[in-house]
Amino acid sequence: MKSKATKIWLFQRVMHRRAKTTEKYLFAIVVAYAVVVAFMNPRFLRLETLFDMIAGGSGTMLLALGLSVVLISGGIDVSFTAVAIVSAYISVLTMDSLGIDNVAFAMLMSTSIGLCLGFVNAVLIQFLRLPALIVTLGTASVFHGAMAVLLGTTDFTKSEMPQSLVTFGSASLITFTTENGRYGLTMALPFVIGALILTWLILHHTMLGRSIYAIGSSEESASRLGIGILRTKLFVYGYMGALAGVMGILYFSELKYVNPTSLVGTELIILAAVVIGGAKLTGGEGTLLGTLLGVSLFALFQTTLVFLGLDSSWRNFFFGGVLLLSLGVMYARQRVADRKNLVFEAN
Amino acid sequence: MAEPLLSVENVSISFGEVRALNGVDMTINEGEIRCLVGENGCGKSTLVKIISGVYRRSAGTVRIGGAKVDDHDPRRAIAAGIQVIYQDLSLFNHLSVAENIAINRLLHNGTRIVKRREVHDIAREQLERVGVSLDLDAKVSTLSIANKQIVAIARALSMDARLLFMDEPTTAITTTEVDRLFSIVRELNQRGLSIVFISHKLDEVFDIADTITVMRDGYMVGDFPADSLDSAKLAFHMTGRDVAHQPYRRVARDDDSTAPPVLEVRDLTRDGHYRHVDFTIRRGDILGLTGLLGAGRTEIALTLFGLNPATSGNILIDGKPGRLTAPWNAMSAGIALVPEDRATEGLFNAQTVSKNVSSTRLDHVVNRWSFLSPSKESELAQRTVHAMGVNNKNTDTLAATLSGGNQQKVVIGKWMATEPRVLILDSPTVGIDIGSKSEIYEQVQQLADEGMAVLLISDEPEEIIATCNRVLVMHDGDVIAGFDDSQRQAPGFKEKLAELIADPASAAVRSKG
Repeated sequence: MKSKATKIWLFQRVMHRRAKTTEKYLFAIVVAYAVVVAFMNPRFLRLETLFDMIAGGSGTMLLALGLSVVLISGGIDVSFTAVAIVSAYISVLTMDSLGIDNVAFAMLMSTSIGLCLGFVNAVLIQFLRLPALIVTLGTASVFHGAMAVLLGTTDFTKSEMPQSLVTFGSASLITFTTENGRYGLTMALPFVIGALILTWLILHHTMLGRSIYAIGSSEESASRLGIGILRTKLFVYGYMGALAGVMGILYFSELKYVNPTSLVGTELIILAAVVIGGAKLTGGEGTLLGTLLGVSLFALFQTTLVFLGLDSSWRNFFFGGVLLLSLGVMYARQRVADRKNLVFEAN
Repeated sequence: MAEPLLSVENVSISFGEVRALNGVDMTINEGEIRCLVGENGCGKSTLVKIISGVYRRSAGTVRIGGAKVDDHDPRRAIAAGIQVIYQDLSLFNHLSVAENIAINRLLHNGTRIVKRREVHDIAREQLERVGVSLDLDAKVSTLSIANKQIVAIARALSMDARLLFMDEPTTAITTTEVDRLFSIVRELNQRGLSIVFISHKLDEVFDIADTITVMRDGYMVGDFPADSLDSAKLAFHMTGRDVAHQPYRRVARDDDSTAPPVLEVRDLTRDGHYRHVDFTIRRGDILGLTGLLGAGRTEIALTLFGLNPATSGNILIDGKPGRLTAPWNAMSAGIALVPEDRATEGLFNAQTVSKNVSSTRLDHVVNRWSFLSPSKESELAQRTVHAMGVNNKNTDTLAATLSGGNQQKVVIGKWMATEPRVLILDSPTVGIDIGSKSEIYEQVQQLADEGMAVLLISDEPEEIIATCNRVLVMHDGDVIAGFDDSQRQAPGFKEKLAELIADPASAAVRSKG
């Protein structure tokens, strides 16, 4: 009991808040699932499983972080996969034609392009006064379509693509050797940790972050206080775009194959991961811990269903099931409470 | 004489074709409590938004402390000492109490890095100034409306405000909470803050104001010293016509002694909500049910409409036991409920007036193949808007675009379409201007005259006295007093009732209604 109390105390001490119900549920689901898998197949408990999960979940996590910020601001973005591909593909083409074979250059260029495309989203949302869903649905097709028309969609194989990316994708932070071969920890991890810390600092320790929560609570009230709505949105969508740009390069490097028609179309599963983590489409709500748990669950399903003897195509099935079940239970509890308090509004 | 704190000269604004303000002038002096009154849509809120820099005026000048303000920038107005507490409070539900209070100051200081300590210090200091303590880390969404208001006031004060606008701060809070608010406002005023108070409740206006400024249809009618007016004169200035409503008198009916009451409630209890409630309503009765918010009034109304099943006791309709377990049971028993919250429970805001009206009588607006008949629907809607005196007779208008008073007429009209025998009105005139208010009173009295049984829930003694022939007072789930027609007409009843509502603990009398 004492250790439990200490843990709760620690959580509150670090986070300055209690764990949310969604976070507790999700944590319980992740743990329960891990126990079941470990029980069914002890191979799950190896370090290499964890390394696989991190490699598989890193890109998703970067996108999910950006998307969390967007949802907290009361917006939505479904163009980020297109932004990731467009930014990274343009960077690869540039490297190819200029003969610059440098991973830092790739990152910088892709991030900048992502940032700009994010700004385009923000400006359109603010000035067309259209719902963010409609704007980003449109820009997703426009960005990707413009790239296909103007630059083509030629693949680059491992030997054709910039070799610095291949090297970067094969490199490991740490490696260890088992009887089954060598395993390494992906180079994407520092990017994810960096982005996680940066996002957390921005959201909770800067005025900008508080403004993001504020406009997600009520844009009208925020403008009455003189909070710069356009400025805040430029940041929110720009940040999403920049993270997508980073993710694009990590994605091509990890795959060691440049395919400009991949990834696009997977944005909704990432949205699902963020929503499972407790972010609400109505804005103002969402935590990074929730997002981390949501993505962890996604990565778990992605890499460990084989241990249960299940094909990886079960991943989406399970993930969708958890989404419906956990949020269904949450909302049902809310409704029972509302009913008791004679509140009849839908939420 | 010193420069006035605020002077507005010849200000106009148009929204599209609509001219919302026409050459409005206003001056506010240091240390003044001013009331700004006028009917819904007269331009009060628009004027406030121009002064606070949210809207850009089309013409005219605004001076704060003698200095001309040209740009429209909320932060400039805030820096100059103008603060507005909007009707919706403009708080951030997902941020904490402390953050909501501190955000103004942080924005103004150009803070980039938020320190928890600093935020808490600002919040604590401001809450001390209003003399209330709240949990600083609580999310604002978990607070009661009265406490949200305290947060809004504390936020407004954090910027060394010199002029505070309060847009209808008392519509959603109870009498005791209004008293607390007023004592805070007077206290702040004594320390030199000027306050502009916008309200529909005329008794409050007289209670708090030095000077009353009246607007009508985008024009300034004038400034009047509070003691030179009475409510009839003020109502005349606001509406441009004489507004007077007679107290309701029930006429005795032939079947009074023979027919059972339309609605009878016997020993009704709902655990945790109300206990041992008895009352009867005959044809032509308007029974007022009053008491503080949370006294159990709304809970009884919901029970009678099948939304909050009673734990024990009986409900008799025409002397026969009624089974009210769902709204449709209540509707088929001839009961109609005009709910407390018009916006979320009374109306389909995004639908036309016509669809709102027909929603209770869909069985009535179909053709012989059970398809909806647009012609029958619009006929029903037309009949209703004419009967209720809704100002906009175009039934294809969206409900959300009507003023509060006209929306409420649509809600009442929608229930009239079901030809109910019992009409329950829960706080029917909250946030509604005086003109529409008296029209609604007249409508209800006329319906009762024609034989309807009415239960009217309200926490305004004036409203109860003006419209009801019998009164029940509730407190904390119990009926603590009941008054019949003769007691109601006795002199001094209004004061007695007001006191009873505000301070129910002192009520030792217990009689049946």
